[in-house]
Amino acid sequence: LNERRLRERDLWAMALRALALQATWNYERQQGVGWAWAFSPALRRLHPDHATRCRRLAEETAYFNTQPTLASLALGAAAALEERQVAAGTPDDGLLARVKAAMGASLAALGDRLFWFTLRPVAACAGVLFALAAGAMGAVVMLMAYNGLHLGLRLNGVSWGYRRGPAVMDAAVRGRFERLTRGLAIAGAGLVGVLVAWLLAPGGVPAPLVFQAALGAGLALGLMTATRARPSPTEWALGLGALCVFAAGFR
Amino acid sequence: VTVELLLVLLIAGLAAVDATPFAQTLASQPLVTATVLGAVFGDWRTALEVGVVLQILSASTLPIGARTPEDYAGGGVIGVTIALLLAQGPPYAMVRDSAAMLGVLAGLVAATLGVPLVKWQRRRNEALGRWAEAELRAGHEGALAAAHRAGIVFAFAVGVSYAAACIALGTLALGPVVEHQSLRLSRAWGIAHPLWIGLGLAQLLHAFVQRRLARALLFGGVLLASWLLLMVGGP
Repeated sequence: LNERRLRERDLWAMALRALALQATWNYERQQGVGWAWAFSPALRRLHPDHATRCRRLAEETAYFNTQPTLASLALGAAAALEERQVAAGTPDDGLLARVKAAMGASLAALGDRLFWFTLRPVAACAGVLFALAAGAMGAVVMLMAYNGLHLGLRLNGVSWGYRRGPAVMDAAVRGRFERLTRGLAIAGAGLVGVLVAWLLAPGGVPAPLVFQAALGAGLALGLMTATRARPSPTEWALGLGALCVFAAGFR
Repeated sequence: VTVELLLVLLIAGLAAVDATPFAQTLASQPLVTATVLGAVFGDWRTALEVGVVLQILSASTLPIGARTPEDYAGGGVIGVTIALLLAQGPPYAMVRDSAAMLGVLAGLVAATLGVPLVKWQRRRNEALGRWAEAELRAGHEGALAAAHRAGIVFAFAVGVSYAAACIALGTLALGPVVEHQSLRLSRAWGIAHPLWIGLGLAQLLHAFVQRRLARALLFGGVLLASWLLLMVGGP
């Protein structure tokens, strides 16, 4: 029976394959095929029979979607559940599908806010600040600020999820993620303050008045339009750029 | 130039792979690709000026749910490369500013036009998913690895082709514009540059503050304190 227990190297293989979770992302199954590919080391260990394994893998290609960093937690938890079912001799494919769907939704809700809404913009602000002050260091700072948490969780999340099983996202862990998101958002607000101050007086030398006024106008316009989904910031930027080129011709 | 352009295409392909198919480490973000491209062309100043603007706008564009955000991985490489190629003219500040202005505009257009391309890629992947499932049901376990290889190679190829087409077209079309309109474009850059940065930073600030007074006060306090510190400690 010990042969059919997951080992550390299976979990690492899953974590590495999870990096390609979105390699075949599509509108029909979203991350489904990537999930099956990342889950296959666990199924290889737990289902030595080739036909059973292929059937289970085909089932795992069904629709799945969540925030990709936190998908590692769901993978580990699902592997633990599969192992328990195999050990108990009570396979229930429907149970795993339900747990996957529930974890996918709750991890997406947490992960989207933590990684897309907060950590990515914070890392970008830190990177831009260093790029303005120290050139090429900006990119290094941005990559380190983001990947410390992103790659750390992505590579260790499978082991974490496996150890805790489907209860991996209990109230305590959710609370910890919420606090982290809040802390990062507060740090982000302060970082934007430092960035604007640097733009107004880079290195202690005040920027030209036209630059300061245009920066203020951009900030005001951005705050007025931030609550609307359309036009997007990119569309606004394109419109402003075209307007500036047009206006410069009249000067 | 040939070696530099080959490196640009390699960077474009790798950025397309990092953006969605593999790892999502932010190595595809405009600030990172601009830094690498600046080293390739030996002109960090122009590369970072364009990269910073595109990075701030990219950070305020979010891939939430099934929404397809603008393709700043491609837009960043294309915009920065076009700016670097256009800035290789006479060594005047006016030429460099014009190149930066057109580089950012080209990057924004490329990021916007990249959305239908990303959607097309994702629709093509649907067939890959169906094929993988059918192969697995037929007992071919290696189908998953093959599907993943195909997905990554496809994304790389699309990224390289899109960048090559846009850079060729952009440089040919915009080269004469820099030659004849550099004064007008450098004036436009003087206004558009801070406007773009302000617009993008406001979007980020809104996402961080979330209508909480304490956070807005923190932003104001830190801004004032940093500005005073810079002015008092500055030259």
